[in-house]
Amino acid sequence: MAERELPPVPGPGPGDALEDELRELGRRLPLPDVDGGTMAERVLARMIAESVPVPVAETVPVRRRVASWIRRRWRTLTVTLSGVLVVLVLTPPVRAAVADWFGFGGVQVRYDPSASPPPGAALPACREPVSAAEAGRRAGFVPRAPRALGEPDAVSVSAVPGGRSTVSLCWYGRAGSTVRLDVFPARLDLGFSKQVRIRPQWLELSGGRTALWFAEPHVLRFPLTGGAGQRWTESRRTAGPTLLWMSADGRTTLRLEGEADMARGREIAESMP
Amino acid sequence: MREGTLEGGRTLTVVDESAVIARVRSGEPEAYAELVRAYTRVALRAAVACGAGADAEDVVQSAFFKAYRSLGSFREGSAFRPWLLRIVVNETRNTVRSAVRMRELAGREAMLLGAAEPLIPDTADPAAAAVAGERRGRLLAALDELGEEHRQVVIHRYLLELDESETAQALGWPRGTVKSRLNRALRKLERLLPDAPEGGEDHG
Repeated sequence: MAERELPPVPGPGPGDALEDELRELGRRLPLPDVDGGTMAERVLARMIAESVPVPVAETVPVRRRVASWIRRRWRTLTVTLSGVLVVLVLTPPVRAAVADWFGFGGVQVRYDPSASPPPGAALPACREPVSAAEAGRRAGFVPRAPRALGEPDAVSVSAVPGGRSTVSLCWYGRAGSTVRLDVFPARLDLGFSKQVRIRPQWLELSGGRTALWFAEPHVLRFPLTGGAGQRWTESRRTAGPTLLWMSADGRTTLRLEGEADMARGREIAESMP
Repeated sequence: MREGTLEGGRTLTVVDESAVIARVRSGEPEAYAELVRAYTRVALRAAVACGAGADAEDVVQSAFFKAYRSLGSFREGSAFRPWLLRIVVNETRNTVRSAVRMRELAGREAMLLGAAEPLIPDTADPAAAAVAGERRGRLLAALDELGEEHRQVVIHRYLLELDESETAQALGWPRGTVKSRLNRALRKLERLLPDAPEGGEDHG
């Protein structure tokens, strides 16, 4: 519904003057000095801070309601097929516009000063592991392990919206710790990333490549997809320190999580064959 | 920026709103910012008109948040603005306790009479401006004397400049009821008020 021009006032008549006065009164109400952009920023910050679930239409035809019920059921079943991250929400102290987005490879990063990530759970393992060859066949690219980590303990593949796949490599430590490397096709768009004030730390890798280091815990959002690649929903979890970078050929984005030391993260990234 | 207007001067139509809401429901909550940007001013106006006073900003923020949470129950294809304003008015009612409200009303009148910056200067003549300001003060006072239903219908239809069907939607009344209550409210206001402003100096 648009805010149109004022309702047309028919020719002067008794009562019209009063109506005009009332409209005038409305326009002169002293309003707080807050614009729509600022308000939007606050509302979105609260939505994120309180992790409000995405609203789903309630009044839908029965057929769709049934479909949505099945979908909700499916969600629980398809968690194991979880795919790639889409958004990182950071917790810098500065006030920043909600529009502060930038893309890094296949990742969108968003600033939200008020986001408070819930306490993190353990880094999820590679579910439904497959052989490296099978992963390569399904994903369309051969996943290679960084030399610094050696052969992974498990490899899994998950579908990403758009018919693409993410390959995840997992290394399990003796103390129950996990290091996980997600590899997915994407290109880096540096032009876009320049538009924001940078909170994550930029690192330079060999060959002039750039990496992003997220030292703080942050909220990670990623789609859960069904077996046929349908996107069901988005899920989120708190992620620990993460390193993001692009492969040397620029065709894949790599995301390393579970390594808390930045120097070691860099070493792992540099050791990619 | 006019209410319901996006940056660049484009206004939101019901079709635009539906598209935005569909985006939100399909997992792009950030799209909601478009609706917030477009309707912040009118929401503030509604909160202030209903007596939110200094709380208007918080009330509106809270109303937008609640509207987002209940976006699932929003009927597809209907107008967002009256639906939102209904939430704003409820939120104002919940937030502002009556004792506080009375104080705020007094403050509101004082602001209208004095400090408020007019959108368009009435005239270069400060005496005439003072008269007009005084008249608006009386109008507000008269509005506060109306019963709740009559006051609400006048606020929605004129102060918020909704049309008749939007008013009906915002208040949850049939259109016929809006029409008749509006009529009665206007008659009552006329009785409560001294002569119309055309009379100039001889008002009151």
